[in-house]
Amino acid sequence: MSVQGSHIDRDWMIKAIGGLALLVAVSPLFAIGAEAVGYIEPLEHAAELTGARTHATVIVAGLFTEYGIPGLGTAAGTLIAGAVGTVLTLAVALGVGQGLAE
Amino acid sequence: MHTPDGFLHPWMVGALLVVSSLVVGTCLHRLRGTLSTARIQLFAIVTAGIFAAQLLNWPLPTPVSAHFVGGALAAIVLGPRLGIVSVSIVLAIQAFVFGDGGVLALGANVFNMAIVETLGGYAIYQLLAGYHRPTAIVAAGWGSITLAALAAGIELGLSPAFGYELVTTVVVMGGGHALLGVGEGLLTLLGVWLLETTGSTASDVSRQGAQA
Repeated sequence: MSVQGSHIDRDWMIKAIGGLALLVAVSPLFAIGAEAVGYIEPLEHAAELTGARTHATVIVAGLFTEYGIPGLGTAAGTLIAGAVGTVLTLAVALGVGQGLAE
Repeated sequence: MHTPDGFLHPWMVGALLVVSSLVVGTCLHRLRGTLSTARIQLFAIVTAGIFAAQLLNWPLPTPVSAHFVGGALAAIVLGPRLGIVSVSIVLAIQAFVFGDGGVLALGANVFNMAIVETLGGYAIYQLLAGYHRPTAIVAAGWGSITLAALAAGIELGLSPAFGYELVTTVVVMGGGHALLGVGEGLLTLLGVWLLETTGSTASDVSRQGAQA
């Protein structure tokens, strides 16, 4: 890939998109693993210690709340939500990038 | 580290929305008309990659765990301004589409993870890269997430929902992420290495990143 040229290497793009697909493909394994160990982040831990947890409110739940899809299991929900999110992020970033083009 | 709505004091929510909007807006203004097609595509891939990597919650058998955030990676490969825009896009999509982080708290989340983490990581990288680049990249990843967590800890600790327990929030957030941040550092190194070994050169990424 030459990031200095006006066009990116096609092979590099294929590899990069393959890398994104790989990350999405393994995401269900991490979601299942996180559920199994009772995944909790420091922020949630701090909220529990201080009694703040009940103050959390939801203004916009989003189409795919918690990276899942109602009715689907953890693995399928994470896989689909992750794939949609990754494609959406790629599209939005390309759009923003086009707006910043030289 | 995504703060939901309801946790922060309203004045802080408003202030951080204004500050983050100004910073991201300034970055976009300064970047206008500067990106080549190749840079746009690299930017898009890195941004989507950060989103996808953030899907992977580390299933560690520890009291607390985390996931990759990517501010330092974005800063190193894209430069600080484009890095801030990159992570901000990820956070906005997470808030509005996935309910991960509050929409009103988006200003705080952008401030912590897109601005503090990206600029902090870039500063650490610039400071150390001349001595030993791999170490600089790991330190940037580790330091950046720790700084972002400290910023979040201070915001939470100054909010009534957390009973103004500033010491608790700073220790839990800063301490937790200082330990888990080793993973962020190693994954930042892996990300930079993958980008470079799949075709780009370190000098290309760094030079172009610094300009953006």
